[in-house]
Amino acid sequence: MAVASRAALLLTILIAGGLLAATLVRVAPGFGMDERLLDARLNNDSRTAIERQLSQGSDIVAYYGEYLRRLWRGDLGDSISLGRPVRELLSERCGVSLRSGLAGMGLAWATALLAVVVLELARAKTCEAVASLAAGALLCVPTAVVALGCLYLGGKPSLAVAAILFSRIFRYLRNIVRSACQAPHVLAAKALGIRRFRLLTFHVMAPVWPEILALAGVSVSMAVGALIPVEALCDSPGVGQLVWQAAVARDLPVLVNVTLIITGLTAAANLMADTFRATREAWA
Amino acid sequence: MTKRRVAAVLLLLLFGVLLAAEHVAPYSYATQFRDAPNARPSRSFPLGTDALGRDRLSRLIYGGRGSMLLAPAAALLSVGMALAISLLAGCLGRWWERGAMAMADLSLSMPWLFALLAIRALLPLNAPPVATMLVTFGLLGLLGWAAPSRVMLASVKRHLQSDFVLLARASGCPRGRLALVHLAPNLLPLALAQFLVTTPVFLLAEATLGLLGLGVPEPLPSWGGLLQELENLPSIAASPWILAPLLVLIAVVGLFHLLVSADPYSV
Repeated sequence: MAVASRAALLLTILIAGGLLAATLVRVAPGFGMDERLLDARLNNDSRTAIERQLSQGSDIVAYYGEYLRRLWRGDLGDSISLGRPVRELLSERCGVSLRSGLAGMGLAWATALLAVVVLELARAKTCEAVASLAAGALLCVPTAVVALGCLYLGGKPSLAVAAILFSRIFRYLRNIVRSACQAPHVLAAKALGIRRFRLLTFHVMAPVWPEILALAGVSVSMAVGALIPVEALCDSPGVGQLVWQAAVARDLPVLVNVTLIITGLTAAANLMADTFRATREAWA
Repeated sequence: MTKRRVAAVLLLLLFGVLLAAEHVAPYSYATQFRDAPNARPSRSFPLGTDALGRDRLSRLIYGGRGSMLLAPAAALLSVGMALAISLLAGCLGRWWERGAMAMADLSLSMPWLFALLAIRALLPLNAPPVATMLVTFGLLGLLGWAAPSRVMLASVKRHLQSDFVLLARASGCPRGRLALVHLAPNLLPLALAQFLVTTPVFLLAEATLGLLGLGVPEPLPSWGGLLQELENLPSIAASPWILAPLLVLIAVVGLFHLLVSADPYSV
């Protein structure tokens, strides 16, 4: 039941997002203009036909209906600046972004988890201070500067994504684990003399999986957001770079359609994380 | 508490300096010294000049004024919206609460940078720089309400179960008065914490947009716009003083984080 209501919410979000996207395209400067109208060789009938064709988009509800119908067929419209179908552009670039995003997320999660486990096992104040300082310093730097830094150090885009995500994931993960360590059952296990590694894996980490899963869902959104500066500055031909180029060229069909798709994917990732968490809690 | 006080005093000092930019900065941000482009730091130009011969220190101060005034203003807008929405959703009943949370989910699912770029592309090409700057920060403020609203709604729901609210309800207190007189004052410390969390986020967002060339347009300076010089690696090595805006930005964001970390209401 909970899954069904979440799925319904996801659908509502997508429909609302679609309406927002269609409205944005509809009210964009230059919508309804066609350079063919400037062609002096066309007669009045041809111009009237073009104008009639263009005026079909003036009713926002009808425009949204047509937009949804085309979206259902997989037609995302054409890019104004690149003169190519948005679907084609996305299919060319999705692979690059997926690879960078997934590798970056994996690396960030692995490093953050490792750092949290090491810090919890070592329990050295100096290590804790250094790790907090490093993560805190990274959080104070704009994501674009982190991406530039990775580029100058010869790192791949995935490394830049990992560097951007690490500080955020590490901070939340550390807080989750630290508060879990204060739970009564952990203190009792500690008093019984259970070894640190077992304490960490069975008594601390196991109960906080729901929170970690929720954080995993949120980290997808973080990775997607990090892809624009990373790909734009590292000259990686992915979706982030496409969005940046579209923003510079004010190519609204690309921008709103990509935003809609990414919103859908992010919402789906969060839905999956929530469902896993709910299932886990029900099972527990 | 001492850390918090030191951070607050330093931020207030910086804020004061930036507000008095006309008196503190040696030159105007647009004044060009055409005989001294890319000058090294000297007594006349403490941070050197840029490629157009403009004093970097003056642009840093004026840019800081824009960023440091508008980022907190955008944060105020976000937190104000979050406060209003959470109070409405909490007091008006379950359906309103569900609606507000669905909207928050939509906002949180939408990567803000994508949405910001899409909405910003609607601006006319000939929009004046000040309008673009205001719109950029305004959009940041409008898009940033979702995360604070979730925290505040949780707090509203907790307060709705408290004795003083139950007593007020039992005494026939209308919903509007309940929200404004009984709930809102209790949410102010949380709102302040959310304001302190959100302001550096907006400062960093503007910096990222500026570095991508999508922030405040020339000739108006902003900290993000000044970071565009970092895109040229050889120039960083040859003139490391161009890192000054980045260092100032890091210091300011660090001070905000220090304020937040010492705040008992920070979430």
